[in-house]
Amino acid sequence: MVVEQMAGNLIQGLVLGAVYGMATMGLSLIFGVLKVVNVGHGAFIMVGAFIALLLFNTLGINPVLAVPLAFLFGLGLGLLFYYSVMQRLIKAPELATLLATFSLGLLLQEVVKLLFGSEYRGYNWAVGKIDLGITVLPMSKLYACAGSALIAVLLYLWFNKTRAGSAMRSVVEDSEGARVCGVNVGAAYALSFSLGIGLTVASGVLLTMFIPVGINPYMGGHYTLKAFVIAVLGGLASPYGAFFGGLVFGLLENGSYTLFALIPGVEPFALTRFFSFLMLLIILLIRPTGLLSEKRT
Amino acid sequence: MLNVKRVESGYGSMQVLWQPSIQVKKGSITSLLGPNGVGKSTLLNTIFGSIEPWGGEVYYEEENVTRVPTHKKVEMGIALVPEGKHLFSNMTVYENLSMGAYLKRALAHKEESLELVYTLFPRLKERTQQLAGSMSGGEQQMVTIARALMTRPRLIMLDEPSQGLAPKLVREVFETIQKMKEEIGLTILLIEQNAEASLEAADFVYVMHEGIIKAQGTPDQIKGSAEIREAFLGI
Ligand SMILES: Nc1ncnc2c1ncn2[C@@H]1O[C@H](COP(=O)(O)OP(=O)(O)OP(=O)(O)O)[C@@H](O)[C@H]1O
Ligand SMILES: [Mg+2]
Repeated sequence: MVVEQMAGNLIQGLVLGAVYGMATMGLSLIFGVLKVVNVGHGAFIMVGAFIALLLFNTLGINPVLAVPLAFLFGLGLGLLFYYSVMQRLIKAPELATLLATFSLGLLLQEVVKLLFGSEYRGYNWAVGKIDLGITVLPMSKLYACAGSALIAVLLYLWFNKTRAGSAMRSVVEDSEGARVCGVNVGAAYALSFSLGIGLTVASGVLLTMFIPVGINPYMGGHYTLKAFVIAVLGGLASPYGAFFGGLVFGLLENGSYTLFALIPGVEPFALTRFFSFLMLLIILLIRPTGLLSEKRT
Repeated sequence: MLNVKRVESGYGSMQVLWQPSIQVKKGSITSLLGPNGVGKSTLLNTIFGSIEPWGGEVYYEEENVTRVPTHKKVEMGIALVPEGKHLFSNMTVYENLSMGAYLKRALAHKEESLELVYTLFPRLKERTQQLAGSMSGGEQQMVTIARALMTRPRLIMLDEPSQGLAPKLVREVFETIQKMKEEIGLTILLIEQNAEASLEAADFVYVMHEGIIKAQGTPDQIKGSAEIREAFLGI
Protein backbone atom coordinates (compact mmCIF):
# COMPACT_ATOMS: atom_id res chain seq x y z
CA MET A 1 0.00 0.00 0.00
CA VAL A 2 2.67 2.46 1.07
CA VAL A 3 4.92 1.23 -1.69
CA GLU A 4 2.20 1.76 -4.26
CA GLN A 5 1.46 5.17 -2.88
CA MET A 6 5.16 6.00 -2.99
CA ALA A 7 5.49 4.81 -6.58
CA GLY A 8 2.44 6.81 -7.59
CA ASN A 9 3.75 9.93 -5.92
CA LEU A 10 7.16 9.50 -7.49
CA ILE A 11 5.59 9.38 -10.95
CA GLN A 12 3.73 12.58 -10.13
CA GLY A 13 7.02 13.96 -8.83
CA LEU A 14 8.84 13.17 -12.03
CA VAL A 15 6.16 14.84 -14.14
CA LEU A 16 6.16 17.94 -11.93
CA GLY A 17 9.95 17.80 -11.69
CA ALA A 18 10.37 18.16 -15.43
CA VAL A 19 8.34 21.35 -15.29
CA TYR A 20 10.28 22.56 -12.24
CA GLY A 21 13.45 21.94 -14.19
CA MET A 22 12.22 23.87 -17.19
CA ALA A 23 11.15 26.67 -14.81
CA THR A 24 14.74 26.92 -13.54
CA MET A 25 16.60 26.89 -16.86
CA GLY A 26 16.12 30.62 -17.32
CA LEU A 27 17.57 31.34 -13.90
CA SER A 28 20.64 29.21 -14.64
CA LEU A 29 21.10 30.66 -18.10
CA ILE A 30 21.10 34.22 -16.77
CA PHE A 31 23.42 33.30 -13.94
CA GLY A 32 25.76 31.38 -16.23
CA VAL A 33 26.20 34.12 -18.79
CA LEU A 34 25.78 37.33 -16.81
CA LYS A 35 26.72 36.07 -13.33
CA VAL A 36 23.55 37.77 -12.15
CA VAL A 37 21.19 36.06 -9.71
CA ASN A 38 17.65 36.89 -10.72
CA VAL A 39 16.04 37.27 -7.30
CA GLY A 40 12.80 38.27 -9.01
CA HIS A 41 12.65 34.94 -10.86
CA GLY A 42 9.30 33.85 -9.43
CA ALA A 43 7.58 37.04 -10.55
CA PHE A 44 8.35 36.17 -14.17
CA ILE A 45 6.81 32.74 -13.63
CA MET A 46 3.76 34.53 -12.25
CA VAL A 47 3.55 36.67 -15.38
CA GLY A 48 3.52 33.49 -17.46
CA ALA A 49 0.76 32.03 -15.33
CA PHE A 50 -1.34 35.15 -15.85
CA ILE A 51 -0.73 35.03 -19.59
CA ALA A 52 -2.02 31.44 -19.64
CA LEU A 53 -5.02 32.38 -17.51
CA LEU A 54 -5.99 35.45 -19.51
CA LEU A 55 -5.52 33.84 -22.90
CA PHE A 56 -7.60 30.87 -21.84
CA ASN A 57 -10.40 32.76 -20.11
CA THR A 58 -10.79 35.67 -22.49
CA LEU A 59 -9.80 34.33 -25.89
CA GLY A 60 -10.14 30.63 -25.34
CA ILE A 61 -6.54 30.07 -26.43
CA ASN A 62 -5.28 26.80 -25.01
CA PRO A 63 -2.06 26.56 -23.04
CA VAL A 64 -0.16 24.76 -25.80
CA LEU A 65 -0.38 27.93 -27.86
CA ALA A 66 0.10 30.11 -24.81
CA VAL A 67 3.61 28.70 -24.26
CA PRO A 68 5.20 30.23 -27.39
CA LEU A 69 3.21 33.44 -26.92
CA ALA A 70 4.41 33.72 -23.33
CA PHE A 71 7.94 32.98 -24.51
CA LEU A 72 7.81 35.84 -27.02
CA PHE A 73 6.32 38.16 -24.42
CA GLY A 74 9.13 37.17 -22.04
CA LEU A 75 11.77 37.79 -24.71
CA GLY A 76 10.42 41.31 -25.15
CA LEU A 77 10.19 41.92 -21.42
CA GLY A 78 13.74 40.63 -21.01
CA LEU A 79 15.09 42.94 -23.70
CA LEU A 80 13.25 45.88 -22.18
CA PHE A 81 14.60 45.20 -18.69
CA TYR A 82 18.07 44.42 -20.00
CA TYR A 83 18.53 47.65 -21.90
CA SER A 84 16.70 49.85 -19.40
CA VAL A 85 18.15 48.44 -16.18
CA MET A 86 20.55 45.50 -16.29
CA GLN A 87 23.00 46.71 -18.90
CA ARG A 88 24.41 49.48 -16.75
CA LEU A 89 24.66 47.20 -13.73
CA ILE A 90 26.71 44.40 -15.29
CA LYS A 91 29.95 45.80 -13.97
CA ALA A 92 28.45 47.08 -10.72
CA PRO A 93 28.84 45.20 -7.42
CA GLU A 94 26.62 42.15 -6.95
CA LEU A 95 24.38 43.92 -4.48
CA ALA A 96 23.25 46.31 -7.22
CA THR A 97 22.06 43.50 -9.52
CA LEU A 98 20.40 41.68 -6.61
CA LEU A 99 18.47 44.81 -5.65
CA ALA A 100 17.63 45.51 -9.27
CA THR A 101 16.20 42.06 -10.01
CA PHE A 102 14.42 42.08 -6.65
CA SER A 103 12.80 45.42 -7.52
CA LEU A 104 11.86 44.28 -11.01
CA GLY A 105 10.09 41.32 -9.41
CA LEU A 106 8.20 43.59 -7.01
CA LEU A 107 7.33 45.93 -9.84
CA LEU A 108 5.83 43.09 -11.87
CA GLN A 109 3.82 41.85 -8.89
CA GLU A 110 2.35 45.27 -8.22
CA VAL A 111 1.56 45.96 -11.85
CA VAL A 112 -0.23 42.62 -12.18
CA LYS A 113 -2.08 43.25 -8.93
CA LEU A 114 -3.19 46.71 -10.12
CA LEU A 115 -4.43 45.30 -13.39
CA PHE A 116 -6.03 42.06 -12.25
CA GLY A 117 -6.47 42.18 -8.47
CA SER A 118 -4.97 39.91 -5.89
CA GLU A 119 -7.50 37.10 -5.45
CA TYR A 120 -6.55 33.52 -6.25
CA ARG A 121 -7.66 32.41 -9.66
CA GLY A 122 -7.35 29.49 -11.98
CA TYR A 123 -8.66 27.85 -15.09
CA ASN A 124 -9.44 24.33 -16.09
CA TRP A 125 -8.08 22.90 -19.29
CA ALA A 126 -9.98 19.63 -19.44
CA VAL A 127 -8.22 17.28 -21.81
CA GLY A 128 -8.84 14.05 -19.98
CA LYS A 129 -6.63 11.91 -17.81
CA ILE A 130 -4.97 8.53 -17.83
CA ASP A 131 -5.19 5.97 -15.08
CA LEU A 132 -1.90 4.22 -14.41
CA GLY A 133 -3.38 2.00 -11.70
CA ILE A 134 -1.23 3.38 -8.94
CA THR A 135 -1.98 6.97 -9.78
CA VAL A 136 -4.11 9.09 -12.09
CA LEU A 137 -2.39 11.64 -14.33
CA PRO A 138 -4.31 14.45 -15.99
CA MET A 139 -3.29 14.77 -19.63
CA SER A 140 -2.66 18.49 -19.09
CA LYS A 141 0.18 17.61 -16.70
CA LEU A 142 1.62 15.12 -19.15
CA TYR A 143 1.59 17.74 -21.90
CA ALA A 144 3.33 20.17 -19.56
CA CYS A 145 5.96 17.53 -18.80
CA ALA A 146 6.49 16.67 -22.46
CA GLY A 147 6.63 20.36 -23.38
CA SER A 148 9.26 20.96 -20.72
CA ALA A 149 11.40 18.09 -21.92
CA LEU A 150 11.07 19.28 -25.51
CA ILE A 151 12.13 22.81 -24.59
CA ALA A 152 15.08 21.46 -22.61
CA VAL A 153 16.21 19.41 -25.61
CA LEU A 154 15.82 22.36 -27.97
CA LEU A 155 17.84 24.57 -25.64
CA TYR A 156 20.51 21.89 -25.39
CA LEU A 157 20.75 21.61 -29.16
CA TRP A 158 20.82 25.36 -29.58
CA PHE A 159 23.59 25.67 -27.00
CA ASN A 160 25.73 22.87 -28.36
CA LYS A 161 25.08 22.74 -32.07
CA THR A 162 24.73 26.32 -33.23
CA ARG A 163 27.19 29.15 -33.67
CA ALA A 164 25.21 31.48 -31.42
CA GLY A 165 25.06 28.71 -28.83
CA SER A 166 28.80 28.19 -28.88
CA ALA A 167 29.29 31.93 -28.45
CA MET A 168 27.01 31.76 -25.45
CA ARG A 169 28.93 28.84 -23.97
CA SER A 170 32.20 30.66 -24.44
CA VAL A 171 30.84 33.66 -22.55
CA VAL A 172 29.73 31.33 -19.73
CA GLU A 173 33.25 29.91 -19.56
CA ASP A 174 35.21 33.14 -19.82
CA SER A 175 33.78 36.39 -21.09
CA GLU A 176 37.21 37.94 -21.70
CA GLY A 177 38.24 34.88 -23.70
CA ALA A 178 35.02 35.13 -25.71
CA ARG A 179 35.65 38.80 -26.38
CA VAL A 180 39.08 38.20 -27.89
CA CYS A 181 37.59 35.52 -30.15
CA GLY A 182 35.35 38.20 -31.62
CA VAL A 183 32.18 37.36 -29.74
CA ASN A 184 29.98 40.40 -29.21
CA VAL A 185 29.78 39.94 -25.47
CA GLY A 186 27.30 42.77 -24.93
CA ALA A 187 24.89 41.18 -27.41
CA ALA A 188 25.38 37.78 -25.75
CA TYR A 189 24.40 39.32 -22.42
CA ALA A 190 21.28 40.90 -23.88
CA LEU A 191 20.32 37.70 -25.70
CA SER A 192 20.82 35.40 -22.75
CA PHE A 193 18.98 37.70 -20.38
CA SER A 194 15.97 37.94 -22.64
CA LEU A 195 16.13 34.24 -23.51
CA GLY A 196 16.29 33.44 -19.79
CA ILE A 197 13.27 35.62 -19.07
CA GLY A 198 11.44 34.18 -22.09
CA LEU A 199 11.98 30.63 -20.84
CA THR A 200 10.89 31.60 -17.34
CA VAL A 201 7.69 33.29 -18.49
CA ALA A 202 6.92 30.29 -20.72
CA SER A 203 7.46 27.96 -17.77
CA GLY A 204 4.79 29.93 -15.89
CA VAL A 205 2.27 28.70 -18.44
CA LEU A 206 3.32 25.09 -17.94
CA LEU A 207 3.16 25.38 -14.16
CA THR A 208 -0.49 26.42 -14.26
CA MET A 209 -1.37 22.80 -15.06
CA PHE A 210 -0.34 21.95 -11.53
CA ILE A 211 -2.10 24.76 -9.69
CA PRO A 212 -5.80 24.70 -10.62
CA VAL A 213 -6.66 27.66 -8.38
CA GLY A 214 -3.26 29.02 -7.39
CA ILE A 215 -2.72 31.93 -9.77
CA ASN A 216 -2.10 35.13 -7.87
CA PRO A 217 0.30 38.09 -8.20
CA TYR A 218 2.29 36.87 -5.20
CA MET A 219 2.57 33.22 -6.18
CA GLY A 220 6.15 33.69 -7.41
CA GLY A 221 8.13 33.81 -4.17
CA HIS A 222 7.47 30.17 -3.54
CA TYR A 223 8.92 29.27 -6.96
CA THR A 224 11.93 31.52 -6.51
CA LEU A 225 12.93 29.46 -3.50
CA LYS A 226 12.41 26.14 -5.30
CA ALA A 227 14.30 27.39 -8.34
CA PHE A 228 17.27 28.32 -6.17
CA VAL A 229 17.39 24.83 -4.68
CA ILE A 230 17.06 23.27 -8.14
CA ALA A 231 19.67 25.56 -9.68
CA VAL A 232 22.13 24.63 -6.96
CA LEU A 233 21.30 20.95 -7.47
CA GLY A 234 21.99 21.36 -11.17
CA GLY A 235 25.26 23.21 -10.83
CA LEU A 236 24.01 26.81 -11.07
CA ALA A 237 25.44 27.85 -14.39
CA SER A 238 24.10 25.05 -16.56
CA PRO A 239 20.55 25.27 -17.93
CA TYR A 240 20.22 21.56 -18.66
CA GLY A 241 21.88 20.76 -15.34
CA ALA A 242 18.95 22.73 -13.97
CA PHE A 243 16.54 20.54 -15.90
CA PHE A 244 17.91 17.40 -14.27
CA GLY A 245 18.02 19.22 -10.94
CA GLY A 246 14.30 19.79 -11.39
CA LEU A 247 13.65 16.07 -11.95
CA VAL A 248 15.60 15.21 -8.81
CA PHE A 249 13.80 17.89 -6.86
CA GLY A 250 10.36 16.75 -8.01
CA LEU A 251 11.16 13.19 -6.94
CA LEU A 252 12.53 14.25 -3.57
CA GLU A 253 9.64 16.61 -2.88
CA ASN A 254 6.97 14.05 -3.64
CA GLY A 255 8.88 11.21 -2.06
CA SER A 256 9.42 13.11 1.14
CA TYR A 257 5.77 14.17 1.13
CA THR A 258 4.73 10.54 1.12
CA LEU A 259 7.08 9.74 3.97
CA PHE A 260 6.11 12.77 6.04
CA ALA A 261 2.46 11.84 5.63
CA LEU A 262 3.19 8.57 7.45
CA ILE A 263 4.19 10.41 10.61
CA PRO A 264 1.06 10.86 12.69
CA GLY A 265 0.17 14.41 13.65
CA VAL A 266 2.32 16.26 11.10
CA GLU A 267 1.15 18.36 8.21
CA PRO A 268 3.26 16.96 5.37
CA PHE A 269 2.92 19.92 3.03
CA ALA A 270 4.53 22.35 5.47
CA LEU A 271 7.35 19.89 6.07
CA THR A 272 8.23 19.54 2.38
CA ARG A 273 8.96 23.26 2.30
CA PHE A 274 11.25 22.89 5.28
CA PHE A 275 12.78 19.98 3.45
CA SER A 276 13.63 22.21 0.45
CA PHE A 277 15.56 24.58 2.67
CA LEU A 278 17.31 21.74 4.38
CA MET A 279 18.38 20.30 1.03
CA LEU A 280 19.72 23.66 -0.10
CA LEU A 281 21.78 23.93 3.07
CA ILE A 282 23.12 20.40 2.86
CA ILE A 283 24.09 20.73 -0.79
CA LEU A 284 25.80 24.05 -0.19
CA LEU A 285 27.76 22.48 2.63
CA ILE A 286 28.95 19.38 0.78
CA ARG A 287 29.16 20.58 -2.85
CA PRO A 288 29.07 24.37 -3.10
CA THR A 289 29.39 24.14 -6.88
CA GLY A 290 26.25 22.03 -7.17
CA LEU A 291 25.59 18.31 -7.31
CA LEU A 292 25.41 17.81 -11.05
CA SER A 293 27.98 20.47 -11.79
CA GLU A 294 30.17 19.75 -14.81
CA LYS A 295 33.04 21.83 -13.47
CA ARG A 296 36.06 19.58 -13.30
CA THR A 297 38.48 21.39 -11.05
CA MET B 1 50.21 49.79 -38.85
CA LEU B 2 49.07 50.82 -35.38
CA ASN B 3 49.21 54.38 -34.24
CA VAL B 4 48.08 55.21 -30.74
CA LYS B 5 47.79 58.91 -30.00
CA ARG B 6 47.62 60.31 -26.48
CA VAL B 7 45.07 57.84 -25.13
CA GLU B 8 43.53 58.21 -21.72
CA SER B 9 41.58 55.67 -19.73
CA GLY B 10 41.27 54.06 -16.34
CA TYR B 11 38.90 52.30 -13.96
CA GLY B 12 35.97 54.10 -12.37
CA SER B 13 37.30 57.51 -11.49
CA MET B 14 40.93 56.42 -11.32
CA GLN B 15 42.88 57.48 -14.38
CA VAL B 16 45.64 55.05 -15.34
CA LEU B 17 46.75 56.18 -18.80
CA TRP B 18 48.00 59.73 -19.08
CA GLN B 19 48.20 60.16 -22.85
CA PRO B 20 50.84 57.65 -23.86
CA SER B 21 51.47 57.49 -27.64
CA ILE B 22 52.99 54.52 -29.41
CA GLN B 23 53.46 53.35 -32.97
CA VAL B 24 53.83 49.83 -34.24
CA LYS B 25 55.43 49.38 -37.66
CA LYS B 26 54.14 46.73 -40.03
CA GLY B 27 56.06 43.48 -39.71
CA SER B 28 57.88 44.51 -36.55
CA ILE B 29 58.00 43.30 -33.00
CA THR B 30 57.38 46.25 -30.74
CA SER B 31 57.85 45.71 -27.09
CA LEU B 32 56.28 47.56 -24.20
CA LEU B 33 58.32 47.38 -21.01
CA GLY B 34 57.79 48.71 -17.53
CA PRO B 35 57.35 47.69 -13.90
CA ASN B 36 54.19 46.19 -12.43
CA GLY B 37 51.06 48.27 -12.29
CA VAL B 38 52.15 51.11 -14.60
CA GLY B 39 49.28 50.55 -17.03
CA LYS B 40 50.71 48.25 -19.72
CA SER B 41 47.73 45.92 -19.73
CA THR B 42 45.40 48.87 -19.49
CA LEU B 43 46.98 50.31 -22.64
CA LEU B 44 46.53 47.05 -24.58
CA ASN B 45 42.96 46.66 -23.39
CA THR B 46 42.21 50.25 -24.32
CA ILE B 47 43.65 49.77 -27.81
CA PHE B 48 41.60 46.61 -28.22
CA GLY B 49 38.50 48.21 -26.76
CA SER B 50 37.72 45.97 -23.80
CA ILE B 51 38.28 49.19 -21.83
CA GLU B 52 36.64 52.23 -23.29
CA PRO B 53 39.06 55.06 -24.05
CA TRP B 54 38.34 58.35 -22.27
CA GLY B 55 40.28 60.33 -24.81
CA GLY B 56 42.90 60.16 -27.53
CA GLU B 57 42.85 58.16 -30.74
CA VAL B 58 43.76 54.74 -32.05
CA TYR B 59 44.53 54.30 -35.76
CA TYR B 60 44.83 50.89 -37.38
CA GLU B 61 46.06 50.93 -40.96
CA GLU B 62 45.24 54.64 -41.25
CA GLU B 63 41.69 54.07 -40.01
CA ASN B 64 40.39 55.62 -36.82
CA VAL B 65 39.27 52.65 -34.73
CA THR B 66 39.15 54.38 -31.35
CA ARG B 67 35.52 53.48 -30.70
CA VAL B 68 35.16 50.44 -32.93
CA PRO B 69 33.69 47.58 -30.82
CA THR B 70 35.98 44.65 -30.03
CA HIS B 71 34.23 42.09 -32.26
CA LYS B 72 34.66 44.41 -35.24
CA LYS B 73 38.34 44.91 -34.39
CA VAL B 74 38.84 41.15 -34.41
CA GLU B 75 37.18 41.03 -37.81
CA MET B 76 39.59 43.76 -38.98
CA GLY B 77 42.57 41.62 -38.01
CA ILE B 78 43.48 42.79 -34.52
CA ALA B 79 44.02 40.04 -31.97
CA LEU B 80 44.67 40.25 -28.25
CA VAL B 81 46.17 37.53 -26.09
CA PRO B 82 45.04 38.88 -22.73
CA GLU B 83 46.95 38.70 -19.49
CA GLY B 84 46.06 35.55 -17.57
CA LYS B 85 44.89 32.76 -19.79
CA HIS B 86 41.17 33.28 -20.29
CA LEU B 87 40.86 29.86 -21.88
CA PHE B 88 37.62 27.91 -22.02
CA SER B 89 38.70 25.31 -19.47
CA ASN B 90 35.74 22.97 -19.87
CA MET B 91 36.11 22.85 -23.62
CA THR B 92 38.58 20.70 -25.47
CA VAL B 93 41.64 22.14 -27.16
CA TYR B 94 39.90 21.73 -30.49
CA GLU B 95 36.80 23.56 -29.28
CA ASN B 96 38.98 26.37 -27.96
CA LEU B 97 40.68 26.70 -31.34
CA SER B 98 37.31 26.57 -33.08
CA MET B 99 36.11 29.47 -30.98
CA GLY B 100 39.06 31.42 -32.34
CA ALA B 101 37.55 30.87 -35.78
CA TYR B 102 34.20 32.19 -34.61
CA LEU B 103 33.91 35.16 -36.96
CA LYS B 104 33.08 34.77 -40.66
CA ARG B 105 36.45 35.69 -42.12
CA ALA B 106 38.24 33.34 -39.73
CA LEU B 107 35.71 30.55 -40.23
CA ALA B 108 36.29 30.64 -43.98
CA HIS B 109 39.98 29.83 -43.39
CA LYS B 110 39.57 27.50 -40.44
CA GLU B 111 41.34 24.46 -41.93
CA GLU B 112 44.35 26.50 -43.07
CA SER B 113 44.56 28.17 -39.70
CA LEU B 114 44.44 24.83 -37.90
CA GLU B 115 47.27 23.54 -40.04
CA LEU B 116 49.33 26.63 -39.34
CA VAL B 117 48.67 26.46 -35.62
CA TYR B 118 49.56 22.75 -35.48
CA THR B 119 52.85 23.39 -37.28
CA LEU B 120 53.65 26.11 -34.81
CA PHE B 121 52.56 24.04 -31.79
CA PRO B 122 52.85 20.34 -32.72
CA ARG B 123 51.98 19.39 -29.16
CA LEU B 124 48.46 20.75 -29.59
CA LYS B 125 47.80 18.41 -32.48
CA GLU B 126 48.27 15.41 -30.20
CA ARG B 127 45.97 16.92 -27.61
CA THR B 128 42.98 18.11 -29.59
CA GLN B 129 40.50 16.18 -27.43
CA GLN B 130 41.97 17.10 -24.07
CA LEU B 131 40.10 19.58 -21.88
CA ALA B 132 42.02 22.84 -21.96
CA GLY B 133 41.69 23.24 -18.19
CA SER B 134 43.58 20.00 -17.59
CA MET B 135 46.69 21.03 -19.52
CA SER B 136 49.94 22.29 -18.06
CA GLY B 137 50.58 26.01 -17.72
CA GLY B 138 52.85 26.09 -20.75
CA GLU B 139 50.42 24.13 -22.91
CA GLN B 140 47.59 26.41 -21.85
CA GLN B 141 49.62 29.40 -22.93
CA MET B 142 50.11 27.73 -26.33
CA VAL B 143 46.36 27.25 -26.64
CA THR B 144 45.75 30.91 -25.85
CA ILE B 145 48.21 32.06 -28.48
CA ALA B 146 46.95 29.49 -30.97
CA ARG B 147 43.35 30.54 -30.37
CA ALA B 148 44.30 34.14 -31.11
CA LEU B 149 46.03 33.05 -34.34
CA MET B 150 42.83 31.25 -35.38
CA THR B 151 41.17 34.68 -35.66
CA ARG B 152 43.58 35.30 -38.58
CA PRO B 153 45.05 38.53 -37.29
CA ARG B 154 47.49 40.85 -38.97
CA LEU B 155 48.32 42.57 -35.70
CA ILE B 156 48.65 40.49 -32.57
CA MET B 157 49.01 42.02 -29.12
CA LEU B 158 50.43 39.70 -26.47
CA ASP B 159 50.12 40.55 -22.78
CA GLU B 160 52.88 38.75 -20.86
CA PRO B 161 52.71 35.46 -22.75
CA SER B 162 55.57 33.97 -20.75
CA GLN B 163 54.15 34.82 -17.35
CA GLY B 164 54.71 32.07 -14.82
CA LEU B 165 56.56 29.77 -17.22
CA ALA B 166 59.81 27.91 -16.61
CA PRO B 167 62.90 29.41 -18.36
CA LYS B 168 62.89 26.73 -21.05
CA LEU B 169 59.28 27.46 -21.91
CA VAL B 170 59.92 31.20 -21.87
CA ARG B 171 62.50 30.62 -24.56
CA GLU B 172 59.98 28.59 -26.57
CA VAL B 173 57.43 31.37 -26.34
CA PHE B 174 59.96 33.87 -27.65
CA GLU B 175 60.93 31.53 -30.48
CA THR B 176 57.26 31.25 -31.39
CA ILE B 177 56.91 35.01 -31.42
CA GLN B 178 59.90 35.28 -33.77
CA LYS B 179 58.32 32.68 -36.04
CA MET B 180 55.03 34.54 -36.05
CA LYS B 181 56.87 37.56 -37.33
CA GLU B 182 59.19 35.87 -39.79
CA GLU B 183 57.13 32.98 -41.11
CA ILE B 184 53.59 34.34 -40.89
CA GLY B 185 54.45 37.98 -41.37
CA LEU B 186 52.50 39.17 -38.35
CA THR B 187 52.96 42.50 -36.68
CA ILE B 188 53.47 42.08 -32.97
CA LEU B 189 52.95 44.29 -29.94
CA LEU B 190 54.40 42.57 -26.92
CA ILE B 191 54.22 43.25 -23.20
CA GLU B 192 56.85 41.44 -21.20
CA GLN B 193 58.14 41.41 -17.65
CA ASN B 194 61.22 39.64 -18.90
CA ALA B 195 63.10 42.75 -20.06
CA GLU B 196 66.23 41.00 -21.29
CA ALA B 197 64.52 38.47 -23.52
CA SER B 198 62.22 41.18 -24.72
CA LEU B 199 65.08 43.47 -25.68
CA GLU B 200 66.59 40.58 -27.63
CA ALA B 201 63.42 39.95 -29.63
CA ALA B 202 62.14 43.45 -30.24
CA ASP B 203 62.71 45.82 -33.15
CA PHE B 204 61.52 48.77 -31.16
CA VAL B 205 60.91 49.35 -27.47
CA TYR B 206 58.71 51.62 -25.38
CA VAL B 207 59.26 52.02 -21.68
CA MET B 208 56.17 52.87 -19.70
CA HIS B 209 55.96 54.36 -16.27
CA GLU B 210 52.92 55.56 -14.33
CA GLY B 211 50.71 55.73 -17.36
CA ILE B 212 53.07 57.61 -19.65
CA ILE B 213 55.82 56.62 -22.09
CA LYS B 214 59.10 57.46 -20.39
CA ALA B 215 61.49 56.30 -23.07
CA GLN B 216 61.53 54.77 -26.51
CA GLY B 217 64.10 53.54 -28.96
CA THR B 218 65.73 50.54 -30.54
CA PRO B 219 66.78 47.79 -28.14
CA ASP B 220 70.38 48.94 -28.48
CA GLN B 221 69.51 52.49 -27.54
CA ILE B 222 67.56 51.30 -24.49
CA LYS B 223 70.30 48.89 -23.46
CA GLY B 224 72.83 51.66 -23.98
CA SER B 225 71.16 53.96 -21.53
CA ALA B 226 72.19 53.05 -18.01
CA GLU B 227 69.75 55.64 -16.75
CA ILE B 228 66.69 54.02 -18.33
CA ARG B 229 67.81 50.55 -17.35
CA GLU B 230 68.27 51.41 -13.73
CA ALA B 231 65.28 53.67 -13.33
CA PHE B 232 62.63 51.58 -15.07
CA LEU B 233 63.85 48.14 -15.94
CA GLY B 234 66.02 47.08 -13.05
CA ILE B 235 68.62 45.43 -15.28
N1 LIG C 1 39.95 45.97 -13.32
C1 LIG C 1 40.59 46.94 -12.62
N2 LIG C 1 39.90 47.72 -11.75
C2 LIG C 1 40.52 48.69 -11.06
N3 LIG C 1 41.82 48.97 -11.15
C3 LIG C 1 42.57 48.24 -11.98
C4 LIG C 1 41.99 47.17 -12.76
N4 LIG C 1 42.97 46.62 -13.50
C5 LIG C 1 44.09 47.28 -13.21
N5 LIG C 1 43.87 48.26 -12.30
C6 LIG C 1 44.85 49.21 -11.78
O1 LIG C 1 45.35 49.99 -12.83
C7 LIG C 1 46.74 50.17 -12.72
C8 LIG C 1 47.43 49.68 -13.98
O2 LIG C 1 47.20 48.27 -14.10
P1 LIG C 1 47.71 47.40 -15.32
O3 LIG C 1 47.12 46.05 -15.15
O4 LIG C 1 47.46 48.12 -16.57
O5 LIG C 1 49.26 47.36 -15.02
P2 LIG C 1 50.39 46.53 -15.77
O6 LIG C 1 51.41 47.52 -16.17
O7 LIG C 1 49.81 45.67 -16.79
O8 LIG C 1 50.97 45.66 -14.57
P3 LIG C 1 51.51 44.14 -14.58
O9 LIG C 1 52.88 44.18 -15.09
O10 LIG C 1 51.46 43.76 -13.15
O11 LIG C 1 50.59 43.34 -15.42
C9 LIG C 1 47.16 49.44 -11.46
O12 LIG C 1 47.26 50.39 -10.41
C10 LIG C 1 46.05 48.49 -11.20
O13 LIG C 1 45.90 48.27 -9.82
MG1 LIG D 1 49.56 43.66 -16.98
